[in-house]
Amino acid sequence: MTVEATPSVQLAATRNRARIGMLLSLTLLGLLALMWVALAFSTKNFWTLNNITNLLRQGAMTAILAIGETFVIITAGIDLSVGAVVGFTSVIIAWSLTHGFPIWGAILITLAFGLAIGVFHAFGISKLGLPPFIMTLATLTALRGIGLLITNGATISIANDDFTGFSRGDFLGLPNLFWMVLVVAIPGYVFLHQSRFGRYLFAIGSNMEAARLSGVNTTRMIYIAYTLSSLCAAFVGILLAARIGIGNATQAEGWELQAIASSVIGGTSLFGAIGSIHGPLLGSFILTTINNGANLLNVNSFWQRVITGGLIIVIVYFDGLRRRKR
Amino acid sequence: MSQMQQGATPGGIGSGGGARTAAPLLALKQLDKRFGATHALKHVDLVFEAGEIHAIVGENGAGKSTLIKLLTGVHVRSSGEVFWEGKPVALGTPHEAINLGINAVHQEVVLCPELTVAANLFLGDERVRLGLLQHGAMVREGQKILDDIGFHLPAGALLSALTIGQQQLVATARASTRGTRFLIFDEPTAYLTRQEAAQLFALIRRLKDKGVTIVYISHRLEEVFQLADRVSILRDGNLVSTQRVAETNEQALIAGMINRSIDQIHYKEEVPFGAEILRTEHLSGKGFTDISVRVREGEVIGLYGLIGAGRSEFVQSVFGRFPKTDGQIFWKGQPVAMRRERDAISRGIALVPESRRDQGLCLNLGVGLNLNLPVYKRLTKGIVINPFAEKAAADRQIRDVQIKAASRDALASSLSGGNQQKIVIGKWLNHGAKLFIFDEPTVGVDVGTKVEIYKLFAKLLKGGAGIILISSYLPEVYDLSDTLHVFRRGQLVASHVGEKAVPETILTEAIGV
Repeated sequence: MTVEATPSVQLAATRNRARIGMLLSLTLLGLLALMWVALAFSTKNFWTLNNITNLLRQGAMTAILAIGETFVIITAGIDLSVGAVVGFTSVIIAWSLTHGFPIWGAILITLAFGLAIGVFHAFGISKLGLPPFIMTLATLTALRGIGLLITNGATISIANDDFTGFSRGDFLGLPNLFWMVLVVAIPGYVFLHQSRFGRYLFAIGSNMEAARLSGVNTTRMIYIAYTLSSLCAAFVGILLAARIGIGNATQAEGWELQAIASSVIGGTSLFGAIGSIHGPLLGSFILTTINNGANLLNVNSFWQRVITGGLIIVIVYFDGLRRRKR
Repeated sequence: MSQMQQGATPGGIGSGGGARTAAPLLALKQLDKRFGATHALKHVDLVFEAGEIHAIVGENGAGKSTLIKLLTGVHVRSSGEVFWEGKPVALGTPHEAINLGINAVHQEVVLCPELTVAANLFLGDERVRLGLLQHGAMVREGQKILDDIGFHLPAGALLSALTIGQQQLVATARASTRGTRFLIFDEPTAYLTRQEAAQLFALIRRLKDKGVTIVYISHRLEEVFQLADRVSILRDGNLVSTQRVAETNEQALIAGMINRSIDQIHYKEEVPFGAEILRTEHLSGKGFTDISVRVREGEVIGLYGLIGAGRSEFVQSVFGRFPKTDGQIFWKGQPVAMRRERDAISRGIALVPESRRDQGLCLNLGVGLNLNLPVYKRLTKGIVINPFAEKAAADRQIRDVQIKAASRDALASSLSGGNQQKIVIGKWLNHGAKLFIFDEPTVGVDVGTKVEIYKLFAKLLKGGAGIILISSYLPEVYDLSDTLHVFRRGQLVASHVGEKAVPETILTEAIGV
């Protein structure tokens, strides 16, 4: 209302927005390529088969977490529990496998736990009225506790070679774990960008009240968003257990921040209503490359935490600027 | 009234006023305020003398709130000058206004409920010794202040333990203590009991005797005649007149408040009425009691009343927002429950809410998405949205409702207020709603867009829909509605079918003189 809005001004604004989105994607892609080239020249070990597959495996897990997280962030919520869910579900799948369940049964049980956790989050948020931040912070600590209680603090080793072998295998020259990203990302893309539920997620993130008054079942959409996030995390828990061959509730510490940072680097707005699937994909591989490169360059691993924290502040600051401009 | 006659001379008595020939305490010259397309206050000249009680009356939206906000520095004027004791002042910030001695008591209490009465009285000006709060001293001092002004309230109690009326008195006490020379009251008696109101009036008269200038804004005209020395009438942002209270009467004030201008085009086509769509029988809920109305196809029912009369609460109950506590809702003759908004929407009720920014629009999303939000189910095949149908539906609405947007992807926030309103209405045309509830649909909308919105009404009516129109702008509801219901304090006090009474009567019913 404050600005005289003529169609030409709007058109410019609309084009700008599309252009900024495109520009961001290209910048991220360029950044990723640049980092890879720089690391290839500056370290001996970066451009080795071993390191690249390693990077793809690690990046795959962050990417899947970030996609799940993105559904929640688009609704202007947050899921801090995803790291804890990964650790917890690694215990669940390890326990199931050591208690004689077949692989498919163990996977189903683990995913069911993920589903239940997501439903619990949504229940706390939409029925009990807890802020998402508090709700998922509470389950973050509680889930690690429950996981440790199950194993009495011990680590469960997985003896099933078929299960652990999967993570080491590859298909068409790319690690199996990397293919798992596509298993999540393609349905995720259809859901977010081509189904009405995706539209509803954006509408809720933009204005929950307006969405509700327009007949959107907002409660159901909150359930869907948090359930998807926890399901993705449970899926990563399975992949992690396969990769390291153990189940331990203290694994994946701090991965929630990796997931949130990946999503935000990829252009998701923490204020809601802006986000995509390809953004968090690029974001997670950028973040993984930074960590991988820091390792290879012998940067103290403690610094990696500092870098992640600093990145989050910078990126969210720019997100806030973008928001204020409108 | 008679006891006030003697005090009807402005200025004089107080200590702060100085000589009678001096400049008035506050003078406004050509004060003007625009909010985008809305011209809220139009070149107003007003003079407030020291030690006078100056009442300001006008319909909702006449510009009273804008005037308060300009005087208290909340908004900055668009043009014009303000003189404080003859010297020009900027009044650019609330801080500046308070430093001059301008204070306001608002209709809603803006204090901290979790603090004590004394702590609220001294908020921002606490008694401190060696960096520590002197709780005991503040309670004692606070109690003395309250006793002095004749409010029998405990200074040590938590504010939240008091009634709304008592909290209002605390706010008044707070505003009157800190060197205030100009005090604005905005509907101060809205939540007060008769006794509390009497205490308040006593305080106001004492402040006047001390030379404080009082601006008294109220819909209750009897209070104006009880209390004020002079009264000014605002209408559509214009100052209509300023008179001595002794020289006017209630009928004259009401006549002045009503807009007689015929430049407003309230586009209305006669549409024959069809079957009944909605009927309420003795419906009661939070904020309204015993409301019976009905809407037929092709009919507009208007709900008129002051802000807070219970109209919005009533329609939100019909819409399933707040459940009814008593009575019955009939939808096409059948009794229905309406427990949730979705119940109402799926039956075919559309609510165009009062605040389009807070309730009506997803501002940082595209026009198309906003328009299609209620109908995505229909645009979906299997699990995937049919992108062609989605685009076509959005484009059709943009064309039909004549939304001036560059494309369906333009952000809703980039549109003007009027075009935003067209989105909020347009999304229900796709949906095919049967009953439209419009809550203040033309607030902040320019005249041209208003006419387009009225034309949309006609289109809806011809399509067999019914309309419930809430408006605080009397000429609008008066001209547009087939049946006009007047609400006052949660009750339906009058209904005008067909030939309506004159606007003066309706305004009188709404105010309850």
